[in-house]
Amino acid sequence: MMATLLIALPLLVGVLIAVSPQRVSRSLALAGTCGIFLLSIWAAVDFPGWGTTKWGLMVDAPWSDTSAFTFDLGADSVAMVLVLLTTFLMPLAVLGSWTAVTTRRREFFAWLMVLQAAMTGVFLARDLVLFYVCFEFTLVPMYFLIAIYGSTNRAKASLKFFVYTFTGSLLALAGFLYVGWAYAQEYGAWSFSIEALAAFARTGLSATEAGFVLLALMAGFAVKVPLFPVHTWLPLAHTEAPTAGSVILAGVLLKLGTYGLYRFVLPMVPAAVIEWTPLIGVLSIVGIIYAGLICWVQSDVKKLVAYSSVSHLGFCVLGLFALNPMGLQGSVLYMVNHGLSTGALFFLIGMMYERYHTRDMGSVGGLAKVMPVWSCFMVFFVLASVGLPGLNGFISEFLCLIGAFAGGAGGAYPGLLGPWYAAFAAIGMVIAAMYLLMMVGKIVFGQLREPADHHAHELLPTDLNAREIAVLVPLAIGCVVLGVAPWLATDAIAGSITETLSLYPEAVNAAHDLMVVAR
Amino acid sequence: MSDLLHMTLASAMTEADLARFLVLSSLLFAVGLCGFLTRRNLIVMFLCTELMFQAAVIAFVAFGRWHWDFSGQVFVIFILTIAAAEAALALALVVLLHRRRNTLDADTWTELHE
Amino acid sequence: MSLLSMLSSSVLTAAPVPVADVHQAFDMGWAGLILWLPLLSLIACGCCAMMRCTSKLPAWITVGSLAGSFVTAMFLYLNYEPPGDVVNIVRWIDLSWVGGGFEANISFYIDSLSLLWILFVTGLGTLIAFYASEYMETDLGSGYCRFFAGVSVFLFAMSALVLADNLVLLYLGWEGVGFASYWLIGYYYTKPEAVAAAKKAFIVNRIGDLGLALAVYLCWTSFGTVQYDELVTVIESGDYARMTDDWSVAAIPWLLMLAAFGKSAQLPLYVWLPDAMEGPTPVSALIHAATMVTAGIYLLARMYPVFLLDGDHTALHVVAWVGGLTALLAATIGMAQYDIKRIMAYSTVSQLGYMFMGLGVLTTYGAAYHVFTHAFFKAALFLTCGAVMHGFAGQLDLRKLSGLRHMKGWKITSYAMLIGCLCLAGFPFTSGYFSKDAILAEAFVTHGPGFQWLGFMALFTAGLTAYYTFRVWFRVCAGPVSYEAGDDHHGDDHGHDDGHFHPHAPRFAMNSVMAIIAIGALVAAVPYFMDSGVKGGWIADMVNDSTASEGIPAVRAAADHAADHAHGSLFGYDPHVAMYWVSGGVGFIGIAIAAWLHLFRREDAVSLRRALLSRSATAWLPRAMERKWYVDEIYHALIRAPLWVGSHVLHGIDRILVDMVLVDGTAKLPRLLGRWVQPLTNGTVHASATAMAGGVALLVIVVLLILHLGVFA
Repeated sequence: MMATLLIALPLLVGVLIAVSPQRVSRSLALAGTCGIFLLSIWAAVDFPGWGTTKWGLMVDAPWSDTSAFTFDLGADSVAMVLVLLTTFLMPLAVLGSWTAVTTRRREFFAWLMVLQAAMTGVFLARDLVLFYVCFEFTLVPMYFLIAIYGSTNRAKASLKFFVYTFTGSLLALAGFLYVGWAYAQEYGAWSFSIEALAAFARTGLSATEAGFVLLALMAGFAVKVPLFPVHTWLPLAHTEAPTAGSVILAGVLLKLGTYGLYRFVLPMVPAAVIEWTPLIGVLSIVGIIYAGLICWVQSDVKKLVAYSSVSHLGFCVLGLFALNPMGLQGSVLYMVNHGLSTGALFFLIGMMYERYHTRDMGSVGGLAKVMPVWSCFMVFFVLASVGLPGLNGFISEFLCLIGAFAGGAGGAYPGLLGPWYAAFAAIGMVIAAMYLLMMVGKIVFGQLREPADHHAHELLPTDLNAREIAVLVPLAIGCVVLGVAPWLATDAIAGSITETLSLYPEAVNAAHDLMVVAR
Repeated sequence: MSDLLHMTLASAMTEADLARFLVLSSLLFAVGLCGFLTRRNLIVMFLCTELMFQAAVIAFVAFGRWHWDFSGQVFVIFILTIAAAEAALALALVVLLHRRRNTLDADTWTELHE
Repeated sequence: MSLLSMLSSSVLTAAPVPVADVHQAFDMGWAGLILWLPLLSLIACGCCAMMRCTSKLPAWITVGSLAGSFVTAMFLYLNYEPPGDVVNIVRWIDLSWVGGGFEANISFYIDSLSLLWILFVTGLGTLIAFYASEYMETDLGSGYCRFFAGVSVFLFAMSALVLADNLVLLYLGWEGVGFASYWLIGYYYTKPEAVAAAKKAFIVNRIGDLGLALAVYLCWTSFGTVQYDELVTVIESGDYARMTDDWSVAAIPWLLMLAAFGKSAQLPLYVWLPDAMEGPTPVSALIHAATMVTAGIYLLARMYPVFLLDGDHTALHVVAWVGGLTALLAATIGMAQYDIKRIMAYSTVSQLGYMFMGLGVLTTYGAAYHVFTHAFFKAALFLTCGAVMHGFAGQLDLRKLSGLRHMKGWKITSYAMLIGCLCLAGFPFTSGYFSKDAILAEAFVTHGPGFQWLGFMALFTAGLTAYYTFRVWFRVCAGPVSYEAGDDHHGDDHGHDDGHFHPHAPRFAMNSVMAIIAIGALVAAVPYFMDSGVKGGWIADMVNDSTASEGIPAVRAAADHAADHAHGSLFGYDPHVAMYWVSGGVGFIGIAIAAWLHLFRREDAVSLRRALLSRSATAWLPRAMERKWYVDEIYHALIRAPLWVGSHVLHGIDRILVDMVLVDGTAKLPRLLGRWVQPLTNGTVHASATAMAGGVALLVIVVLLILHLGVFA
């Protein structure tokens, strides 16, 4: 019931916004998202999956007696964490676009609500068709958010975003259909239950088939993550999207990709994963370093943060394919942490943009002089992003890297990557410091530079107002809490991760024997 | 003609009979198609589409009789009804188009071009 | 029972349990105050900033909380019994449900080494914060809160670094002090040099942090733990070999070295420290002289057992040589600078080199002792430089200042600086004399590749040190009174209004702190002779009780340490006694040359430089020294510039090859196909209809072919 509400309520609020007058739309959206957030908190309190392998928020709803397609919902701890991330970011996104959206406000907030419903649906779906429909449906609201409310190059950006990710997902769909078809061949009836299909795919597919399924799924999810070299839609989409769009895009939409990897690729085709992991590891590392260096020479601050997402998500994928508890923990934490800190960076850049109407670091800078509060937050979130210990970014980066480091042939620990992967990926830490401090050095510190035609905003004060601070404070609190008490999250998702890893008995058991000998 | 009637009423319908109907149908269709492709007057083009419709109708009836399945006949009734509705709509459109450009030449309308 | 069922069962019961399975002599949770007090002060300073506080309140809060930290550390010391304790404070990263149990909590490892460090860190921190309360007063109401918040962050991170019981918490402190240093170097954030220096410091340190991170990973994979006490146990048991490849344990020291050389400004990563002088002077004194930069020495001392695992001590030999070379290089640069703060910065790099040399030649207590004395005398030197800078509107050029000790109100500054200089120069019976001697003597008697030469080199460097140190003092404090104001006008109310510049002498807070620290620098000689059951006294006791001691039996046997470290003789005398005479003599020569060139006949220094520059054979020497051996330029040309160009190339590749050619190119394929058949469709109904009819015909033909000819069958 709760799960249904979490998906249906946003839709309902969206419809409500669409039919009510323009001037109440943002208040309605704020009230709706806040209400849904409280609801999700309530759901999380009761959630049985924390620290266990249990599923919660279960809804069993067959479409019809004869149909293989169902409306089954539910969440394990990892999905629940991501649902919470979504419901947490949405009110902030609404509050953050309070004054930024001036035209067609009603549609904007309605689309945001629809987007929330689709994203929540992705995380809560237990049925493949439902998952896929929601997964694809996220594109539609986002397309309109970029195409209508974006900046100058929005037409190209929205089209590219849509076509690129859609093409990738079609390949994933082919993979899914193949698994479904093979299942039907085997059992004589179709099923789209994710659990049943994954269980079948692990044993029922030949090595070649599993390899192709892996490639098809990777094509879909890697574009979404995005993994090098299929990342080029992201900088464009991020740069052109409105602030709330960028925040949601970085905060949640990219996580659909990593969640897809976690929910489908890892459990469905373990043998193929083991075979292909080195390549995926190399691609993530190339992405980390390549995108990081590109960040360093950007002059558009939003593009810089966009490329930094490519670099950061490289760590996330690396941790995921380390295939040991540390790596997976780090990876899932990374999804959350990246949502918080990069989301906040996009908010901050949006706030700057609202005042100066430029994102070019050459024409605006030294803002610490006139916007001290904004600058404090900027430095704070940059540090969270750089991975300063004590803040959230560090824990996840550290766990991803140590997970990747510890595995490997002859390693002391389960896993498939190895010290060299981690060593090269760790160079990304230095590069991250280079580009993010370069950014801070230009726009926050130094002599004050303002665009020549700059004049004060008619509504906003020079520095942040209370509403904008209210957007940033929850994110900052999140960063600190996850930084000093990461066990809150690591304990919570332990069960799901153990379950996923139990599908990799060889990797785990080999290392287990090793440990026993050593002790 | 009486031959045809006789054959229709008789229980047996040979393959050759069917072939005759189909040839008629395809001839009618070809006439319609050629007319559609070569004439530029909108009303004539519309008439040609109606011809192609009737070709399909003949084929329906013939196959319905051949398979001894009255769905063919039922479809014909439907098609005729729809064709009537469509004729009303299409002629209205033609009037509209005529008012815009003061001509019935179809090739003056190239908005489909990229 | 498989690992996984084990895991899942442990997970099912995994409630957040407090970690308390380690030995704890008594409840020492209050030790956490050392961390929490600076943190509280940070929050208080933040609140002050929000309330736009214009009083000195943030300074008093900071001084008070740091004093509280110091008192807590003192209590810890008084309660301390060897071999020390692990005190659990707060649960942090805890994946103990994982097989192999990765666990890193906020816990303290309180042994004599960490106590030694925390005592002088919090003590000097308190004093320097008090000094800064006066020094920073021109910024009251603007950056004052920000400054003291930064100092609090620094003390928090430094305490975490020193007291950590595991490498991950140490890493937190390690990056934390790097961040605090970034914060404070960039304090004058409108100055482009300050921003650049701050960025450079953070990034160069990050390179070191990379080494530390990898070392932590390796420790965990090799020894199965990142906690010091367990680490020592595992190393002693020698039971780790099967868990890992043989290269991994051997690689740890090298990675730790990278980390230490970054943080403690050694070759090749020292370049950030001189630039860091862009920060306010109390920061230079506290962070970039007395405390933070010694973190590298602390790290190596703490992880010394890992260095001794290798019987050949190869890593330690490299440490010694890098230290010695850095000491020499920095001293030669320091000789030729005119900015007194820069001179002190290079001197710090040079003295840190000595400390690493001490670690390398197996005298950890010598290194630690030099850290201890250096903290006092270098803080005294920086604080007096700061007083000069503060009083003379930012003037730091030693050619434009003279005869300070004859001026009213500058007595304490001058004599505190003299004491600092004497210690730094190794004047007999000062603290620096004994601590430097402890290292120099060991360099001569320890067996190692070319250690004799290293010893002579260090001795020569000691002479240079004495020279450049007294060059500063003779120029600035001695001689006839004359001065020029700097160009820093933020103290205008004291200055130019009547057309003449009046320097304003330091007042109570600065004077008292300079006096206390100068006296401390002198008194720092005493611990060497306290409790003198062993050579090295109290300091040696403190070091030898800890992991920095060479006293892990299994390791000592493996390293055949006794043979390595035999106390030989130097010129037929006990090396330490001999060194007293030799280094004292070298120091005198250095001071004498400085007195000649910079006190009695200052014109000779100018003519000497001119003479060197006029001859083409020698002209390169002063030039290269003044331009710091072109190291920054070389790094720029070899590393930064290629990386910059490479990044632009990558960006080009990303835009053109990946995005335009591959992605857009693929997307354009259907459109190209469309272009090809486009002539068929001119938009008229007829063309479309023809195309459609043709298409249908084509399909029919295909179907017929399939059905009748079996083309695709």
